[in-house]
Amino acid sequence: MENILEASGLTKRFHGLVAVHDVSVQLRRGEILGLIGPNGAGKTTLVDMVNGTLEPNAGDLVFEGRSVRGLPAYRRAHLGIGRTFQIMKPFPGMSVLENASIGALFGTNGGERSIGRAREQARECLAFVGLGRRIAQRADALGGPDRKRLELARALAMRPRLLLLDEVMAGLNHVEIEEVIEDIKKVRDQGISILVIEHVMKAITSLSDRVFVLHHGEKIVEGSCGEVLRDPRVVEAYLGRRRR
Amino acid sequence: MVLLLQVLVSGVLLGGLYALMALGLALVWGVLNIVNLSHGALIMLGAYATWFLYTGAHIDPFAALPIAAASLFALGYIIQRGILNLVIRGPMFNTLLITFGIEVILTYLAQLWFSADFRTINPSYAGSNHALGGLTVPYVQALAFAIDSVLTTAMWMFLLRTRTGRGIRAASQNLVAARLYGVDPKRIYALTFGLGAALAGVAGGLYGTVSQINPYIGGPLTAKSFVIAIIGGLDNPLGVIAGGLFLGVVESLTALYVGPTYRDVASFGMLVLILIARPGGLLGRTA
Amino acid sequence: MKRAGAAQRLPEPPEGEPGARGAATRAARRTALALAVAALAALPWIGNTVLVQFGISVLLLATLAQGWNIIGGYTGYPSFGNSVFYGLGAYGVAIAMVQYELPFWVGMLLGLGLGVAFAGLLGLAVLRLKGHHFAICTLGLALVMTAIVSNLEIAGGNIGLVLPLLRSEVLFYELALGLAVLATLTVLWLSRSRFGLGLIAIRENEEGAAVMGVNTTFYKVIAFMLSAAFTALAGGIYAYHITYIDPVGVFDVVLNVKMIIMAVFGGPGSVLGPVVGALILSATAEVLAARLTGAASLFFGIVIVVAVVFMPRGIAHLVRHIGPAGWRYFIDNVRTHRL
Ligand SMILES: Nc1ncnc2c1ncn2[C@@H]1O[C@H](COP(=O)(O)OP(=O)(O)O)[C@@H](O)[C@H]1O
Ligand SMILES: [Mg+2]
Repeated sequence: MENILEASGLTKRFHGLVAVHDVSVQLRRGEILGLIGPNGAGKTTLVDMVNGTLEPNAGDLVFEGRSVRGLPAYRRAHLGIGRTFQIMKPFPGMSVLENASIGALFGTNGGERSIGRAREQARECLAFVGLGRRIAQRADALGGPDRKRLELARALAMRPRLLLLDEVMAGLNHVEIEEVIEDIKKVRDQGISILVIEHVMKAITSLSDRVFVLHHGEKIVEGSCGEVLRDPRVVEAYLGRRRR
Repeated sequence: MVLLLQVLVSGVLLGGLYALMALGLALVWGVLNIVNLSHGALIMLGAYATWFLYTGAHIDPFAALPIAAASLFALGYIIQRGILNLVIRGPMFNTLLITFGIEVILTYLAQLWFSADFRTINPSYAGSNHALGGLTVPYVQALAFAIDSVLTTAMWMFLLRTRTGRGIRAASQNLVAARLYGVDPKRIYALTFGLGAALAGVAGGLYGTVSQINPYIGGPLTAKSFVIAIIGGLDNPLGVIAGGLFLGVVESLTALYVGPTYRDVASFGMLVLILIARPGGLLGRTA
Repeated sequence: MKRAGAAQRLPEPPEGEPGARGAATRAARRTALALAVAALAALPWIGNTVLVQFGISVLLLATLAQGWNIIGGYTGYPSFGNSVFYGLGAYGVAIAMVQYELPFWVGMLLGLGLGVAFAGLLGLAVLRLKGHHFAICTLGLALVMTAIVSNLEIAGGNIGLVLPLLRSEVLFYELALGLAVLATLTVLWLSRSRFGLGLIAIRENEEGAAVMGVNTTFYKVIAFMLSAAFTALAGGIYAYHITYIDPVGVFDVVLNVKMIIMAVFGGPGSVLGPVVGALILSATAEVLAARLTGAASLFFGIVIVVAVVFMPRGIAHLVRHIGPAGWRYFIDNVRTHRL
């Protein structure tokens, strides 16, 4: 199977702190790759480097066969990399529909040229995540779970080929988590490759084809869900943290 | 060589005054996140207060400084409590605009009370100076410089050591935390702005002893204070001193080697270049 | 979250039929606006010289406010340096006409070119700054330009330049009207185009916009250049009309603040707000200047303070939202923004 994303030797330092150290990872086309690790492990930083929010200090990044290192975030969006933010970044003064329309207007391949069609596309994505009734509301009037849904809908409206999901289920209840899990499966069935960061283990186990684990900025294991979760190093990474 | 040294001495003396001017602006900016466009007008009012006490009540300008500072503190406290606290959570350019509106009002009132004529504060010792090697050091400027240094240090100590000072620093870090810590933001904000205004008042009084004043000197002084705050950062008063000295020396050198009309090009050009090259300021955090 | 302007709507209501009623009201609105412009164009033949003079000044200010609206209101970058473009436009005309004896329109092109080129070059550097830093850096630029131009021989140095006299108030009026209409149509286009939505996205959350595919640098620089274009053209008309310019006069920092106030008073990020703001504020200032000479600036200051306190989102927002709340609208504004 062909790889849609190949990261090799990615490293990111913040002043003295090494947030991500020499991480290599491949994502296959059409697969869902789970990314787990304790808080502060460097998961968000890794995603930031993939979509261009941050530039790595070292390493290379190949997306669909071409190196995207050094490309600004908007160019990577045009190539088909979409993401959600753990700390959500909606356009607060715009309506929910407008928020998603921006994704449709500017996303993959530069997006739709017509506002009308973009809005249609945005409306579909909003309906898909269950925000169909809220499209006229201002984004800053939404509650937490709805903001998470909006974050997902905005990324989907970009029609991405690779979707990076940074803790989209944090703060959702069981029912809502089930819904989002189903949604993500449907997205994958459309042929979109997905990297999903999640602390909700149930989501990781029911979604991921493979899982890899970051700890202190380094990849400690990679493999199938079952293998990884039984790996003593992973158990220690999590329990070690809990004990502190 | 002597000329260069002389220029450096004047530059440093001027810079001390600049530093004091900028100190209040940096304090308000750092704590309240307000860039106070009326800061120069407050300096102007401080100068007039000193002038008024000197010509009207024959109080020595240096003795008049505490009175000027106290009046400006009261004015600043009222402005923050009565007006700025009402808009402080609005969009940023609203606070810029409103302080500009205040500057317009203060300038108008100054012109109404003191007329648009140039004024000078001329105590008997005004022209005298001290010869040091081949250099002349004007007494008034040297005294002004000494006061700047003392006040800046006092400010630093106040912020570090006193309860209120710590409250102010807490409020500048995080308002929510400050509230938990028992600080009343309304009062702390008004105090901080009052303090900034009092510093402007002293700076104005000293400015009046070394330079002519009229109601319109505020705008350019605000701009210079910005430049210094940008160079020095908002973290601590020492950065502001360094920024003031730097600007004073650069201006004096430009005036000597390039031409007096290029003085402002130098200082504002430096502002622009520094912002573009080092958005964080030369010496520290700036916003 | 600190934001530049009021909530921005997409052109059509998100739900409901774009049917006959919407189209009808839109046609009616368009007709009303066309009629208003026609009436304005006819003003020189109806009104007296004083009114025409006033009209020129208001229309130029409206253009400035509209120009600022593009970069400040839509894009969220509060420029305090637009006076630079105004000054460059004015000096473009003055230098072309005085030093090279070229026709007025060549001067306008020169001024336009200078302003837009300056915005393009500086925009690349300056538009990386955010918030206060951007505001102050542009203010610094305005001050530097005043000082530089004061030292330029070709620009007449400190003394300035005297332009040839053209006694045709009607021509100046129609030119100013044309420019103001053009600026407003551009803003109208922004409010309903992909480009304009990109700018609004930048204002609302720049990082979010970039991640969703908006080429933020390019969009910001183009917005800055558009803003500069209108501002420079207004400066050119002003120079020829006033016939005498000097650095302090046309690079006036206070002018920056004026255009911002007009735009903010009217409603930043709205289409007609800046024009309405320019009209109301100029008219009031004019009346007051006649009634209480000298106190006009005091009044100006008070208006700014009161407007920022009670209607921080401008007239456009006020008109749309005051509704049944009445005076409580003002109280609510204070409530949401006070400490
Ligand atoms: N912009 C930044 N500046 C400095 N340190 C950062 C920055 N972003 C993240 N970090 C640090 O990098 C480490 C990894 O953070 P992050 O990628 O957010 O972890 P995770 O998403 O796995 O919880 C943390 O120690 C965090 O404090
Ligand atoms: Mg994270």
